[in-house]
Amino acid sequence: MADRSASDRIGGYADAVLAVARAEGAQAEVEDELARFADALRSSDELQSTLADSAIDVERRLRITEDLLGGRALPATAALVSLVVGAGRGGELVDIIDATIDRAAAGRNRRVARVRSAVELTADQRARLAEAIKASSGLDVEIQTIVDPSVVGGVVTEIGDDVIDGSVRSRLRQMRSGLG
Amino acid sequence: MARTTLRLLAALGVAAAALAVAAGPAWAAGETIGGCVIEQVHYVEAEYGSLDALDKKALEKFEDDLEGCVEAPSPILPELDEIIWGGLAFVILFAFMWWKGLPAVKRAMDARSEKIRSDLDAADTAKTDAMRTKSEYEAQLADAKTAAAAIIDEARAQADQLRQDLQARAEADIAEQRARAAADVESSRRQAIDDLRTEVAAIAVGAAERVVGASLDADVHRSLIDGYIDDVAGAGTNGTSRNGG
Repeated sequence: MADRSASDRIGGYADAVLAVARAEGAQAEVEDELARFADALRSSDELQSTLADSAIDVERRLRITEDLLGGRALPATAALVSLVVGAGRGGELVDIIDATIDRAAAGRNRRVARVRSAVELTADQRARLAEAIKASSGLDVEIQTIVDPSVVGGVVTEIGDDVIDGSVRSRLRQMRSGLG
Repeated sequence: MARTTLRLLAALGVAAAALAVAAGPAWAAGETIGGCVIEQVHYVEAEYGSLDALDKKALEKFEDDLEGCVEAPSPILPELDEIIWGGLAFVILFAFMWWKGLPAVKRAMDARSEKIRSDLDAADTAKTDAMRTKSEYEAQLADAKTAAAAIIDEARAQADQLRQDLQARAEADIAEQRARAAADVESSRRQAIDDLRTEVAAIAVGAAERVVGASLDADVHRSLIDGYIDDVAGAGTNGTSRNGG
């Protein structure tokens, strides 16, 4: 959990990223590309640690981001990621992207539901899940999918601090608790 | 008082007798030889008319009387005037001594007696004080001995109590250490069992996770996701869990 100053700093970066995306007129695309990049970061601890390692030269870390995003994402998206990494906040990049997506969804009067699953959800499943969440909680949500093999099977949905865990992993953990 | 008066009167009588004895010769010597001769002549002339008329016997007597006139005064009886003057002086001196000397002597004797009495009283008081001090000292000494004995007894009792306490504490420490050692052994045993159980569970679950993960194909994943969506739509039943604030 980030402390108060870190939270303010992450919020500040998120507002800046969102403002740039709006100014470029490609907010939705930038959000989607940032979400996918964050998903890639979550799946690779080595990549996260490399971008956060202050011992590695900034130029090298920027070159890594350009290699990852160059030609695969909008220039604005690549520039925003480079901005954060160049500022030495690579360790907070995932949090900044999440905060950016949360603020964008809040601007549309929606919440972000981060859905982790072992395999990618289909568009139909995403739509049905959004409807199911609205039916059960009354919240309008935007689905952000995260492919996480550690889930093993099933789905884990996070909406803010609320977690709806229907994963095989959690059932295995319950079984492990019962055995231990 | 009466005894002192008697003594004074006796001394006065002795003094008067001594004065009378001493004054005898002076009284005897109070008549002159010429007067004595003239007196003897006048006596003879009155008796016989003239000296010539004396017979032999009277003449011898007359000669004896004349010889008596030339004899020495009495060594015992003083002259009368000496007795008078001496007696008068004695009386005056006696009266003066009775008037002034006796009270002074009495006062001196009384003062002396009073001083002796007071000295005796002081001596008695000092003796009493000394006896009392001695008694107090002896009492204090006895108290000190008693207190010393009590202190020694108390110290001995404390030493015994301390020894017993130390022994009891040592025994308690030994028992506690034994109990702690036994508890440590039991705790270690339980911890080892728990660790083993946890390890076995982790291995088992890990193996199960790998088996399950390998056995989940696309259809099973889709089925699980669809079931999850249905559960969320049904307010999170059938296996889903909710956490968070």
